Amino acid sequence: MAKFNTWMTRKLRITCEDTTPLISELMDHNLSLGKRLRLKFHLAMCTVCRFYKKQLEIIRALSRKLRGEEAPTQQKAVLSEQARTKIKDSLKQSN
Amino acid sequence: MVKTPETLNSDLWVDRYGDMLYRYTLVRVKNPDAAEEIVQVTLLAALQSKGSFQGRSTEKSWLFGILKHKILDHFRELKNQRTYELTPDDDSDPLENAFHSDGHWVDAPKNWDTDPHKAVENKQLVDALALCMDRLSEKFRNIFVLKEIEGLASEEICKEMDIKPTNLWVILHRARNQLRKCLETHHWNVKK
Repeated sequence: MAKFNTWMTRKLRITCEDTTPLISELMDHNLSLGKRLRLKFHLAMCTVCRFYKKQLEIIRALSRKLRGEEAPTQQKAVLSEQARTKIKDSLKQSN
Repeated sequence: MVKTPETLNSDLWVDRYGDMLYRYTLVRVKNPDAAEEIVQVTLLAALQSKGSFQGRSTEKSWLFGILKHKILDHFRELKNQRTYELTPDDDSDPLENAFHSDGHWVDAPKNWDTDPHKAVENKQLVDALALCMDRLSEKFRNIFVLKEIEGLASEEICKEMDIKPTNLWVILHRARNQLRKCLETHHWNVKK
């Protein structure tokens, strides 16, 4: 059993450098079984890579928040007076 | 009670919806001048197709529908001017020197003291992401917007923007890591 465990560990062990692309890949599609296992195995042991994964998840959640028609952002940017006049004029002309 | 069908009043469009349409565009389009231009193009197109408005949706959502198409058109224009494929001019990999030779982090990611559910309630954090997105190159920003804000599938982005799946993945990976670094510096302001 000990032998098997060492063998498994060797098979599954990857570095942080190998892990980050897998986490990014996971954001876009499902991973193959092998990649999924190696990722799981690494994340179980590595706090820092878990932080990395959480950071990407936070970025995704924040992006979704920007999606709506009245997303809370851009410090309430408004069209410049100049642009308003320009757009109004062009609408009048083509009406 | 029967709801009166929506009617269009193009004289009021700029005052009623101008800023809303502009802000929606600014989230997606980096350049404010281009964003103004897109609002104008949208309202002109709306005026021309006034006849096709059937009053089933509100005036506002009808205008937003047209705007969404115009924003995608703008993204496609960039495709025609220059390619979305990766070139040596593109920002390099933010993770290039991030690891020691043994594969461990040099500058380990910090614990962002929140989780995705709580983060979205933090207005400052949402603003910080918008700010950091503006620091991405236009190419990276557009692709990130299509994926994470518009929520398009990777296959769709590759097809629409003429880009290979591997390059799409590299662009998204780099964009996310640039955003991560920027947020860490500007929001968490973590000391090295």
